[in-house]
Amino acid sequence: MVQPDGAGGSVPLINAVELKQHYPVTRGVVLRKTIGVVKAVDGISFSIPEGQTYSLVGESGCGKTTTSRMILMAEPPTDGEVHFQGKPMNQFTAEDKREFRASVQAVFQDPWSSLNPRMRVDSIVSEPLVTHQRVTKQEVKAQVSELLEVVGLHAFHAERYPHEFSGGQRQRIAIARALSTRPKLIVLDEPVSALDVSIRAQILNLLKQLQESYHLSYLLIAHNLATVRYMSHRVGVMYLGKIVEEAAPTELFSNPLHPYTKALISASLPAHPRQQREEIVLIGEVPSPFNPPSGCSFHPRCPFVMDHCSTDDPIYRDSTPGHKVSCHLYAERPA
Amino acid sequence: MADGVILKVEDLRTHFFTRSGVVKAVDGISFELRQGETLGIVGESGSGKSMTAWSILGLVPKPAGRIVGGNIIFQGENLLEKSPGEMREIRGSGICMVMQDPLTSLNPVFTVGNQIIESLAMDSRETRRSLRKKAVELLANVRIPAPETRLTSYPHQMSGGMRQRVVGAIAMSRSPSLLIADEPTTSLDATIQLQYLKLLKDIQAQTGAAIIFITHDFGIVARMCDRVAVMYAGKMVEQAGVERLFDHPAHPYTEALLKSVPDLDVDVDQLPSIEGQPPSMDDLPPGCAFAPRCPYAFEKCGEFPPEFVIDVGHTSLCWRHDGAA
Repeated sequence: MVQPDGAGGSVPLINAVELKQHYPVTRGVVLRKTIGVVKAVDGISFSIPEGQTYSLVGESGCGKTTTSRMILMAEPPTDGEVHFQGKPMNQFTAEDKREFRASVQAVFQDPWSSLNPRMRVDSIVSEPLVTHQRVTKQEVKAQVSELLEVVGLHAFHAERYPHEFSGGQRQRIAIARALSTRPKLIVLDEPVSALDVSIRAQILNLLKQLQESYHLSYLLIAHNLATVRYMSHRVGVMYLGKIVEEAAPTELFSNPLHPYTKALISASLPAHPRQQREEIVLIGEVPSPFNPPSGCSFHPRCPFVMDHCSTDDPIYRDSTPGHKVSCHLYAERPA
Repeated sequence: MADGVILKVEDLRTHFFTRSGVVKAVDGISFELRQGETLGIVGESGSGKSMTAWSILGLVPKPAGRIVGGNIIFQGENLLEKSPGEMREIRGSGICMVMQDPLTSLNPVFTVGNQIIESLAMDSRETRRSLRKKAVELLANVRIPAPETRLTSYPHQMSGGMRQRVVGAIAMSRSPSLLIADEPTTSLDATIQLQYLKLLKDIQAQTGAAIIFITHDFGIVARMCDRVAVMYAGKMVEQAGVERLFDHPAHPYTEALLKSVPDLDVDVDQLPSIEGQPPSMDDLPPGCAFAPRCPYAFEKCGEFPPEFVIDVGHTSLCWRHDGAA
């Protein structure tokens, strides 16, 4: 059982234990047989305390989005479980499920495709509210106006359609919609990467301010490390379905341990032309999760690879308190 | 070609004539590019940065779009006076382009080898076999493992990073003197992006080609470029050497944009953000287009500012420099 981090012993809002999501790969139509499994997520554990942001970073195909789908209860994990406020999801009653769906919302990357173009803003924003609660028309109207003001839009915007808004404004509408049921957790899947550069800081600041006013927890999925550092309380680095390193952002980015984390940081673009980073250029590309390498799955690309990396699985453990890493380089240290 | 200038754009204006009015996508921009130099054109979507590239290539979408003024001097010749046939020739050999999405710029029904050889065969009479050998060399040059076997692969059998390198190989196959790269790495992951950017630098060092990098990411500019031009609403609001721009941004838009990007190496509690939305191009405010979002705006901003020279090679379109420089 994984202990919650930094939550002072209280029950974390979300506690994911050894989550796995394996997809069977089949061949044939009538005589269908399974020829293998894609291990999209392969045994990850993390917890999100109330009012905090947990971020998952990693490259495409590492399992970030699959993890978020399991947290959203959009698909059940093939193994492991998610505890919501201390209660495992697979023991939810119908009532629990209803409550869960109201308390967990999501904001997606692309506000052009996540808002229905045929719905007016007021129906978009109030849809989760109407689904989950008994409310009168007056209440809905008042709530929509309030929500729009909260995200920095105006009450009169309620009567417009999504195409009348710019990208940043649309993302604000998506946030208002997510807030409508007074959720405890919002899953943010690349919330600013589709937006113009000058708009990103606005939306990030809005999200931070909302977190403070409503004591929200966020599960942030992002590939931009600087954004993650700005937003998070804890960061997990994923590679091929596993969390390979986890720490608070300041610690993680100033003292990265795992070679993959080091490579990611070295690959992130400088904020100034004179800024030099340690150059770790990885060879090759991320292997397919259908046939992951043996031992440590990073070993074929790792610049510090040792003999036993290709045979032994590294153990995910605390290197220093609060800084977990799964790498043979740090194995000798007492856990 | 005095002092190695290979491209000179003077007061270029590319306008679109639509039912709802004239959209001035590119509105009076001027810049120069020397041999072996890398210029970054930075801007948000709709700022006119891609349309600048299309204009240089002579590929402005017709009939709505038209270049209504200015000159594009490439290697001493004005491209705007060329016939479509001559432009085709120049696009093949003098200027090449790498697009954002490598999946749409490769033909899905032909093998990668086929497409490279097609481009090689355009101006050579060599045998198929020697062209094939050249294609293998090109693929090896962009560091594709096992290039011999990769020649028979189709684009869908390759990863995004590899496809982008194939596009790079095709673009470099005719050794152009100008390469235009339009957000070539936005669809790539961070570690693959780094590989690709390093590769472009290497190719540039080998061939001495000039590169125009079109991007919205100041990080890429910091990593790759010698000079930067910042575009906003169809104008180049600031131009400077890369270090000069990061150290002393002159235009309020550049300044605000640089501040609003989070830095991986620093903890901050609150990012300074630019308020408001980018203007819509068919309804621009009179005068300086950034004025409605600008913290320094004053009465004069209702008129359009001329270009002020702040330092050698550093220009800015902002009234704040009036009398200051």
